[in-house]
Amino acid sequence: MFIDIGCSQKKKYNQNAYGDYFLSKRYKDTNRVIAILSDGLGSGIKANILASMTATMLLKFIEAQSDIRVACETIMNSLPVCKVRKISYSTFSAIDCDEDGNAKIVEEGNPQFLWIRGNEILEPEYKVITSKTFTNRHMHLYHLKLEKGDRIIFCSDGVTQAALGTKELRLGLRREGLTDIVSFKLKEDSNISSDDLARYIVHQVEMIEPDHKLKDDTSVACFYFRDPREAMVFTGPPYDSEQDNLYATSFYNFKGKKAIAGGTTANIVARELNLEIIPDTNINVGKLPGISYMKGIDLVTEGILTLTKTSEYLEAGEYKDDAAGKLMNFLLDSDEIKFIVGAKINQAHYDPNMPVEIEIRKNVIKKIAKLLEDKYIKKVDVRFV
Amino acid sequence: MDKIEVRICSGTTCFVMGSSFLNELYEIIPARYGDKIAVKPSLCLGQCSKNDKHAKAPYVKIDEEIISEATVEKVLKAIEKRLN
Repeated sequence: MFIDIGCSQKKKYNQNAYGDYFLSKRYKDTNRVIAILSDGLGSGIKANILASMTATMLLKFIEAQSDIRVACETIMNSLPVCKVRKISYSTFSAIDCDEDGNAKIVEEGNPQFLWIRGNEILEPEYKVITSKTFTNRHMHLYHLKLEKGDRIIFCSDGVTQAALGTKELRLGLRREGLTDIVSFKLKEDSNISSDDLARYIVHQVEMIEPDHKLKDDTSVACFYFRDPREAMVFTGPPYDSEQDNLYATSFYNFKGKKAIAGGTTANIVARELNLEIIPDTNINVGKLPGISYMKGIDLVTEGILTLTKTSEYLEAGEYKDDAAGKLMNFLLDSDEIKFIVGAKINQAHYDPNMPVEIEIRKNVIKKIAKLLEDKYIKKVDVRFV
Repeated sequence: MDKIEVRICSGTTCFVMGSSFLNELYEIIPARYGDKIAVKPSLCLGQCSKNDKHAKAPYVKIDEEIISEATVEKVLKAIEKRLN
């Protein structure tokens, strides 16, 4: 199973910093994911610092400990109390799960999470652990066995207490209201990504607040356990041209989505598999060469310039509707991405008369892979051939 | 007479060396020659990797003829030569 993670946050009205903090980390070797949603006391910069400190420390503790319970208990016992308001500096929800569906969840102070299977909301059993140092602090510990298609939703109390005190929702949105919003959306689009679902919930919360002004920081983190969407990108001619046919065939037979980034690479695939390359009639969009089409391949672009631009777009999180923007969307619509990077160098790219510097393919791919892994939490595999 | 095919390379080297300046050919050729000539882009003509020191990007292919260091004028001249 693949764990699709998405988070959406909005600040309290008139604040310039987020008072909730979400942190997640994927461990490639062990197929494990740790994620924390922490809500700092109050709002603004102070809350932001408290929440980010709690989440960061907790992630490191869970990572270092074999038991999430011990890590969370340590944090619960040591979180200070605000002198003025006599309440905890921050609250949190933490999940430590793997791709086999084993999940451990700990909540301290945050609203109870939702566990969704099909159209049903499951109510798991939990163990209450009381703090040894602060008797008013309790954490809930859950052990879950998740199945394919299951979803877990964390939220901050900005969600459950939305519209509190209004005529329509005197007690706020509460867990029931959140359940309704989620159930409605899942009926409409049962395969919705975690990112889209989180964004939808936060938007709905904003809509029900009077004047659409959020009275608290509002965060939703979704986890969706599903089949991975696989993709392969073939870029650069293989070092040993005698292996061209082998690589072209294995690329073409790959069962997920396929993209080629590189004119020579596309020519090799076309030659070896007797395919036609049809350039798009929109010649060059923006400052990049246009895309082309090949039967059975989802996207065909030029190589280095497009890849370099794609890495810039991935870094900025914004894109234009050119070939690199299309490649970026291709990558972001996938969970597991394999890059087959040909190591043969085209001498013409290093002609000193070239008006612009052309990056080395290996470096651009390494940069893209790092961005996809760290910023977009994708599973990436790079193979040089 | 068969249609003459003009293909403008938009591979990395050609693009960097100015093949986008040849874009006006997509308007000039149909306007001047109608449907006698088909002009289209090519993802890569594969010429630069042949590493011939005397040939330079950008490249344009007119049927089987390769034009190196192509300019709009050079391409139009080559078309005229073919038509005559």
